[in-house]
Amino acid sequence: MKHSASNWITDILQQQDLPPVSDWLSELRRKARDQANQLPLPRRKQEAWRYSRVDALLKQSFTPVVQPPNGSGLEMPQSLSPHVLVFVDGWFNPALSRISDLPQGMVLGSLREHLDDASVKAHLGSLANSGENLFSALNSALINDGLLLKTGTGTEVESPIEVFYLNSQAEQPLLSQPRNLILVEENSKLTLVEHFLPGMGNAYFHNSSTEIHVGEKARFSHYRIQDEATDAWHLSNIHLVQAASSHYHGITLSFGGKWARTEYKTRFAGEQAVCDLRGLYLVGDQQLSDFHLDIHHDQPACHSREQFKGLLHGKGRAVFDGRILVERIAQLTDAQLTNDNLMLTRDAEVDTKPQLEIYADDVKCSHGTTVGQLDPQQLFYLRTRGIEEQQAIHMLCAGFAGEIIEHMHLPHLREQAGERLRRTLDRL
Amino acid sequence: MSAKQDSVDDLVKAGYEHGFVSQVASDTLPPGLNEDTIRFISGKKKEPQWMLDYRLKAYRHWLEMNEPDWAHLRYDPIDFQEISYFSAPKKAGDGPQSLDEVDPELLATYEKLGIPLEEQKALAGVAVDAVFDSVSVATTFRKQLADVGVIFCSISEAVHEYPELIKEYLGSVVPHTDNYFAALNAAVFSDGTFVYIPEGVRCPMELSTYFRINEAKTGQFERTLIVADKGSFVSYLEGCTAPMRDENQLHAAVVELVALEDAKIKYSTVQNWYPGDENGVGGIYNFVTKRGDCRGDRSHISWTQVETGSAITWKYPSCILRGDDSVGEFYSVAVTRGHQQADTGTKMYHMGRNTRSTIVSKGISAAHGQNAYRGLVRMGVKAENARNHTQCDSLLIGDQCGAHTFPYIEVRNPTAKVEHEATTSKISEDQLFYCRQRGLKEEDAVSMIVNGFCKEVFNELPMEFAVEARKLLNITLEGAVG
Repeated sequence: MKHSASNWITDILQQQDLPPVSDWLSELRRKARDQANQLPLPRRKQEAWRYSRVDALLKQSFTPVVQPPNGSGLEMPQSLSPHVLVFVDGWFNPALSRISDLPQGMVLGSLREHLDDASVKAHLGSLANSGENLFSALNSALINDGLLLKTGTGTEVESPIEVFYLNSQAEQPLLSQPRNLILVEENSKLTLVEHFLPGMGNAYFHNSSTEIHVGEKARFSHYRIQDEATDAWHLSNIHLVQAASSHYHGITLSFGGKWARTEYKTRFAGEQAVCDLRGLYLVGDQQLSDFHLDIHHDQPACHSREQFKGLLHGKGRAVFDGRILVERIAQLTDAQLTNDNLMLTRDAEVDTKPQLEIYADDVKCSHGTTVGQLDPQQLFYLRTRGIEEQQAIHMLCAGFAGEIIEHMHLPHLREQAGERLRRTLDRL
Repeated sequence: MSAKQDSVDDLVKAGYEHGFVSQVASDTLPPGLNEDTIRFISGKKKEPQWMLDYRLKAYRHWLEMNEPDWAHLRYDPIDFQEISYFSAPKKAGDGPQSLDEVDPELLATYEKLGIPLEEQKALAGVAVDAVFDSVSVATTFRKQLADVGVIFCSISEAVHEYPELIKEYLGSVVPHTDNYFAALNAAVFSDGTFVYIPEGVRCPMELSTYFRINEAKTGQFERTLIVADKGSFVSYLEGCTAPMRDENQLHAAVVELVALEDAKIKYSTVQNWYPGDENGVGGIYNFVTKRGDCRGDRSHISWTQVETGSAITWKYPSCILRGDDSVGEFYSVAVTRGHQQADTGTKMYHMGRNTRSTIVSKGISAAHGQNAYRGLVRMGVKAENARNHTQCDSLLIGDQCGAHTFPYIEVRNPTAKVEHEATTSKISEDQLFYCRQRGLKEEDAVSMIVNGFCKEVFNELPMEFAVEARKLLNITLEGAVG
């Protein structure tokens, strides 16, 4: 076929010699593999890839990591949390991790070790569609390991769980593909922090897929901090389903990588659920940050709020595509989406596309978008108060970004994020 | 259901007011499209070779194109071989020299439509280039306009009389390669209007064309070209009605506007073509390419549209803001009810410095109507200090309809400022209650609220049109609420 997968995908799939897994998973892999061979390459003509070019990515060959890497040269990351999990090239690394006592019934660790678990069988692949695009097919075709988090009913975990995705040093660019499954069951309360860091790697492709089920009345805070290496590609594909009266609070900070894309697909399985999604992206020279949101209101009386802000400098490029779909049945939906972009330099570029698709009448939906530069009047005001220009710019940018950062309820994360922002602004 | 409600329902089902067919003997080409069809059309119009070449070039390009499928519309595929591409009302002799020579039945049709030519001469001060199906039959006020140097004639005439202007401007804003429907139009366009306003002239009256599709199974392929030379001003009105038909009729028009330095073009449309019956059968397919080019510095193009008709509307009046300090505006009210579908919006390409654009789009969906706003704002690299403000509001009446917003914003210049806002809601119970409490009937209250919702757009319409638009909106929405 004219548009079917080129050598890029066949090369990757050829190289591997996957360690065996249970039959049901082999079947899932095989199906995804067929899909990967059939699916078209992402091209600008396709609406989902209109602004984020993947040509450079498809020119690069990647080696999938099919055996657990030894993690040489890597150290256990600093963390205050009693639960620290480290994944190297997508594989769980017990030596670098520490898991303290967990509440009764809770499972936390490597997906690979729980493949025979009934709930894993029931949920893995139930949300993520491997036929969605080439990259999701690729992730499923080579499923090996990832994070498994299952709370059990009514579990409250006080301290946050911190997960670090690191990479090995390699001569050839590696393909890291964590496959995560998160089950926050009824009445549970939990905070998960995910850090995406280079480790020893520089040019690699992180292609993760995460499926999240939030049970009735459960509350899940999910913070994701992406600070990949300067030559890295990053693609996170997150599928979320929320039961009645549940609360999902997700914040993604996107700082690193040369091409970083986060896809969120959320839907509801019960009424009165609240989905709160926020994001901040900081992009500079040779960087592209891309957020794709697909918020599907298919239950009545749910509430969703999406707030994404971007700071662009150098030749940074940002893409934002957010869609709210309200089905006929989803009366009393309240959905609001905003995307604000601040361009600090001449050569920055922004493409933004907020969309509303509404089939129910008793709803409150809105979206707003702005693109602009710093307000000269605000700068002037600060200058008249004796503040140096550079300092004034910092203050205004910090204020702009602060609206996202302040929503993280963990003080050390807020500090880290603020520090990361300052570091970049100082260099300008 | 109350008796009052019943009478409203009767009114809603009363059918299409302008649905009548006048029996005028016409010169219609059998359905089908090939190079011979194009040669026939061109020959019929005694066009020069360069015009035929242009049409053939467009046709050959069209053959290689695919019909676009990205719009939020559902309709049966169009069979382009089932459409007749030429239909001209029979002319007396070599064409009428005055109204007396015009087919009386044709004139009667105009009367029914409420546009008696002679009356308009005296009353409204509007010059009408009445397009009956595809050929311009009569043009009024030609002399008065000629005195100030304004050219207002049919495209066919202009091809013969002003070939230099046509050669320079036709296809310069919407090239024949632009899109599927524009290519088709360039190949088979039957007729349309040409307007040229010379340097420094303020057109003494509002110019207007009434379109009317009258021949069963006939596609209407209008071509409009308006050129406003330096420092000139023109306000152009386009309004449409069509008789009731069972089969879907295709309409693929192209409108090109060119504004040179300091010129201003105001283009207003009221579109009320047959929307199909209450089951969604029939109705016009309206695929229109409209684009204005602000070629000169400080030029200004303003689009205002009120879209209440057509089964399918696919229309994106756009502005290319090439000149520095040029201004583009788009004001739109789109109403969909019954099974109507609209995918409409605008594109603003900011290329020059200090360019400004305003987009105000009001979508109203009732019954099974689907209404989508699709817009693009592009701030080019050189668009220093460019500004855009976009406001898209949707009103939903009933739980079977849909309202969608698909804005695209592309910014390549940090000094540019773009703001986009969109809201979707139903008519507020509080507002309705307040009006009812003051003794207003529910229908009146709804009509008042909806008119208020659309006010920003109606204010942009010329007076006569604003009145017509308000009336049209009220009739369209009556009975939709309850």
